[in-house]
Amino acid sequence: MRPLDWVVLGGTLATIVLYGLYKGRGSDTMHKYLLADRTMPWYAMALSIMATQASAITFISTTGQAYVDGMRFVQFYFGLPIAMVILSATAVPLFHRANVYTAYEFLEKRFDTKTRTLASVIFLIQRGLAVGLSLYAPAIVLAVIFGWPDRLTTLVMGGLITIYTVAGGIKAVTWTDVQQMIIILCGLVVAFFMIVHMLPGGVSFLDALYLAGATGKLNAVDLKFDFNNQFNLWSGLIGGCFLALSYFGCDQSQVQRYLTGKSIAQSKLSLLFTATAKIPMQFGILFVGAMVFVFFLFERPPFLFQSVAMQRLESPAVSEQFAPIRSQFEQAFEQRKQAAIGMAEARHAHDESRRAQSLAQYRSAQAEIDRLRTSGTKLYERSSGEKGFNDTNYIFLSFVTRYLPAGVVGLLIAVIFAAAMSSSSGEVNSLATVTVIDVYRKHIRPVATDRHYLWVSRLATAFWASYAVFFAQYAKKLGSLIVAVNLLGSLFYGSLLGVFVLAFWFRRVTGTGAFLGMLLGEAAIFAAFWFTGISFLWYNVIGCVVVIATGLAVSWLRPTP
Amino acid sequence: DGTWPHVYVAILIYLASLIALFYFFTRMFS
Repeated sequence: MRPLDWVVLGGTLATIVLYGLYKGRGSDTMHKYLLADRTMPWYAMALSIMATQASAITFISTTGQAYVDGMRFVQFYFGLPIAMVILSATAVPLFHRANVYTAYEFLEKRFDTKTRTLASVIFLIQRGLAVGLSLYAPAIVLAVIFGWPDRLTTLVMGGLITIYTVAGGIKAVTWTDVQQMIIILCGLVVAFFMIVHMLPGGVSFLDALYLAGATGKLNAVDLKFDFNNQFNLWSGLIGGCFLALSYFGCDQSQVQRYLTGKSIAQSKLSLLFTATAKIPMQFGILFVGAMVFVFFLFERPPFLFQSVAMQRLESPAVSEQFAPIRSQFEQAFEQRKQAAIGMAEARHAHDESRRAQSLAQYRSAQAEIDRLRTSGTKLYERSSGEKGFNDTNYIFLSFVTRYLPAGVVGLLIAVIFAAAMSSSSGEVNSLATVTVIDVYRKHIRPVATDRHYLWVSRLATAFWASYAVFFAQYAKKLGSLIVAVNLLGSLFYGSLLGVFVLAFWFRRVTGTGAFLGMLLGEAAIFAAFWFTGISFLWYNVIGCVVVIATGLAVSWLRPTP
Repeated sequence: DGTWPHVYVAILIYLASLIALFYFFTRMFS
């Protein structure tokens, strides 16, 4: 980080906080603080929805994933537009007309108190487990890249979101999300043009596409159906649709965005805009990763992008075993580079036989590089005792810090901060809302003044923001448990989706049917997780179906008197 | 709260076009 980078990063963060405080002023009633008095326009809600979904790790990891594995991850989002259409037609008008603060409050109006309480507790556990991770995950990457202490990074991020989230409520959160989303998009566009500009003289953008495509990096659609493959067209359309229905329809951190709309139409438009913009945005992020791959065809990449792992491989204890792997890697890199240049030249000269020969050499060298990286990774795992190592999260930022000019590095680090802060602030804000509306006002203090609830809302926001920072500060002590914590959070969506499907479409289902359905649905998801190898995208489908079947069966056996 | 169903159908047609475009993109450069 050079002085100009610090100026860009510091200026961006200061602007975010000041803008949040400015836009959040006047949130002096609970309705204003938690729902912005329902005054939000569609574009603010839409960008807030997208910013809340895009965490820092989405941005860091997705580019790295395209570098290693190609663009097939984009299929994960194919079900999202279908889900947005379904939610616009059903959830948006029902939530708005029920005049609720939270999605779970709606469940009491439709079923009973116990169903609402169970759903809100599930949300608090699920989202509460994840809230600190949004800060911790980018902090550990920045710690390796820059040597910044991860505790300081999480404290800065958490401290900044606490200031504007506590002071301005959802208005501050939404408008800073808009600002953060614009920063993210600007950073992406700048990164893309910088990479294309930095390709060698004889390599055109079209050459870059052919070079990335020849190793499968541009494979964006896989038509083969496979239950165990996370990323194919069908798991994306069906599993992705169910996941998006759960996330955007049952998770208060998203529902609260579109409950602030000034009309039902504005809220619908916010979801439908997201439906059209999300896939191109993810495609763009992945495409940047694929272009980083092309850049490293001509510029020698580090053997592993995680510098701590590289230091270990170069240490005296391991270097003797690593030396032959490294020298083979360097040879394979040179072969791949020459083959890539040969492919570009042959394409320009329309020399088909030379192109075919270069293509075969290029693919062979790439396969050798992949094999050597796998060998090196295994050597690192054996010597360090760390299991499941991968350096995907370090690829993009390694490229940024080593090759991009001053100012641009600061902008892209600001993008990482903005993405982390936008997802965390939405989570903190929604956790506070559910705590106040579904727990405090429902079970602890049902009658109090609006001013009392406003201050409790501020306190709850401060509590959850502090909890997020505290969790992030001590997450390192959890070690590999952190993966389990993250995974555990994703196992609750199916049953939440099931109970909302019952609420929206099955008039005869009783509160007891819905409640028992949620419990059995959750059990089915945990069983699928423990006893099968089914991809996690299908858990929501399984949980949802079990909740609906149980809810219908119980309601048929014990109808409401 | 022309019509919302028309908007919904337009979004689904857009999704189908996007998938077709990506598939074409995949085939063209692989």
